[in-house]
Amino acid sequence: MSDKEIGDVILDVKNISLSFGGVKALTDISFNVKEHEIRAIIGPNGAGKSSMLNCINGVYRPQIGSITFKGQTFSHMDSHQVASMGIGRTFQNLALFKGMSVLDNIMSGRNLKIKSGIFAQALRLGPAEREEITHREQVERIIDFLEIQAYRKTPVGQLPYGLQKRVDLGRALAMEPKVLLLDEPMAGMNVEEKQDMCRFVLDVNDEFGTTVVLIEHDMGVVMDISDRVVVLDYGKKIGDGTPDEVRNNEDVISAYLGTSH
Amino acid sequence: MAFFLETLLGGLMAGMLYSLVALGFVLIYKASGVFNFAQGAMVLFAALAMARFSEWIPMLGISDFFLVNVLAFIAAGAVMFCVAWVIERLVLRHLVNQEGTTLLMATLGITYFLEGLGQSLFGSSIYKIDVGMPKDPVMILESTFEGGILINKEDFYAAIIAAALVALLSIFFQKTSTGRALRAVADDHQAAQSIGIPLNRIWVIVWCVAGVVALVAGMIWGSKLGVQFSLTTVALRALPVVILGGLTSVPGAIVGGLIIGVGEKLSEVYIGPFVGGGIEIWFAYVLALGFLLVRPQGLFGEKIIDRV
Repeated sequence: MSDKEIGDVILDVKNISLSFGGVKALTDISFNVKEHEIRAIIGPNGAGKSSMLNCINGVYRPQIGSITFKGQTFSHMDSHQVASMGIGRTFQNLALFKGMSVLDNIMSGRNLKIKSGIFAQALRLGPAEREEITHREQVERIIDFLEIQAYRKTPVGQLPYGLQKRVDLGRALAMEPKVLLLDEPMAGMNVEEKQDMCRFVLDVNDEFGTTVVLIEHDMGVVMDISDRVVVLDYGKKIGDGTPDEVRNNEDVISAYLGTSH
Repeated sequence: MAFFLETLLGGLMAGMLYSLVALGFVLIYKASGVFNFAQGAMVLFAALAMARFSEWIPMLGISDFFLVNVLAFIAAGAVMFCVAWVIERLVLRHLVNQEGTTLLMATLGITYFLEGLGQSLFGSSIYKIDVGMPKDPVMILESTFEGGILINKEDFYAAIIAAALVALLSIFFQKTSTGRALRAVADDHQAAQSIGIPLNRIWVIVWCVAGVVALVAGMIWGSKLGVQFSLTTVALRALPVVILGGLTSVPGAIVGGLIIGVGEKLSEVYIGPFVGGGIEIWFAYVLALGFLLVRPQGLFGEKIIDRV
């Protein structure tokens, strides 16, 4: 992990505040993500981690603040636009296309990359056919990488939870994102599944150079794989730094363990 | 034997017409997970537009029969495109990520709106659509059977048009990335957006396609029965078809339509005399009810397995 090169700031979140009616989900959150790093967002339940991710992803519109991605600054993001700029994501509560096969699910991740027109595709014209094959090759590579070859044609609704999580990751990878947002990729998994998922995340980061922003509950995992950690509590940022720094931060300790009296 | 075949063929062709209407339901359900109550109203709206345009266009000095019909079809198609666009703009756009029930209620509202708008724009009398479909019946297989088999030419052509449309749509859904995007949107709005599928454009596309299907259905039914308000009830006839075939399946809509068409005719002819006739009217609904009890997802529908 030490030998990888962390680049410049690719995603910069400034003074984000988000509230739903009277509930303040996020208050004045700022942090940045550097190219090629694994950045974790942690915090107790209801700290605003998923809300933060949803702001970056354009699902929520923060009332105050700005998000800068690759030099462009936005006051809020638009889901579809975010995807086309190269931010992919996975979901905390699986949001797969349940009726479709594993292959089609991951293939759908390449939607933005497919250039040939719908008539060319329907008629199987030469260029469209070739394009389909190129995309299919990419998808096969992802399927191999995630070790789900055997389930290619299975409707995802029928797969066990751990594998569905992988398909979710696969679909996001198919977009070839610059930045990958992972919302609790290991929630509800057993130790073995967690280890596999950790390996995938590290490999993605390593091999494809993808920047990863992840939310995770499992402290062990977070401390092991992330380069820097943001800690949220009740919608406020209470810590930011390397895993070691965060681990020794007084506020973080009291948020997680309660203050000693 | 000849009589049986005649009934069977008649049933198949009638079934194809049910399929056509059912297809409209399936399309929108597949692409947005919404059961579109307004499909019947769209059929009426499209048929009204078609009928009136084919009256108005000759006033511009175009008299060629074929050209008038083509222009009327294109004009009505354009109207359906506008309808799709307006529905997306004013209704669907504001209901992204909402529950299916909310969307269903919205389509119920659209139904009444379209019925009213259609009649105030195009008038509420009975109009006719004449696309030159031959009305005379023909005899076939006269050498095989004594007396031959009587088929209705109009039904025959209608069935061919319906079959062609279905084939086109199947290719569209299965073979193109837009088709895949449509299926993705149906399953999960949020996830579809996250991989860069533009929800709004997809909805316009699918309502357009459903509008065109409604137009073809309206044209064929209208040329058979005349264009009038009762055309909206055609949608009710197609309801058992989608239950039978499965709400998510294009082939299901076809097979369901055929089964119901044939079932209606055969039961009317062979069982009807014993129970006093009139089976044709309720047969489809009873069959659908049976299916709901035994196989609620329909013949080709996706089985929903919920994790508890």
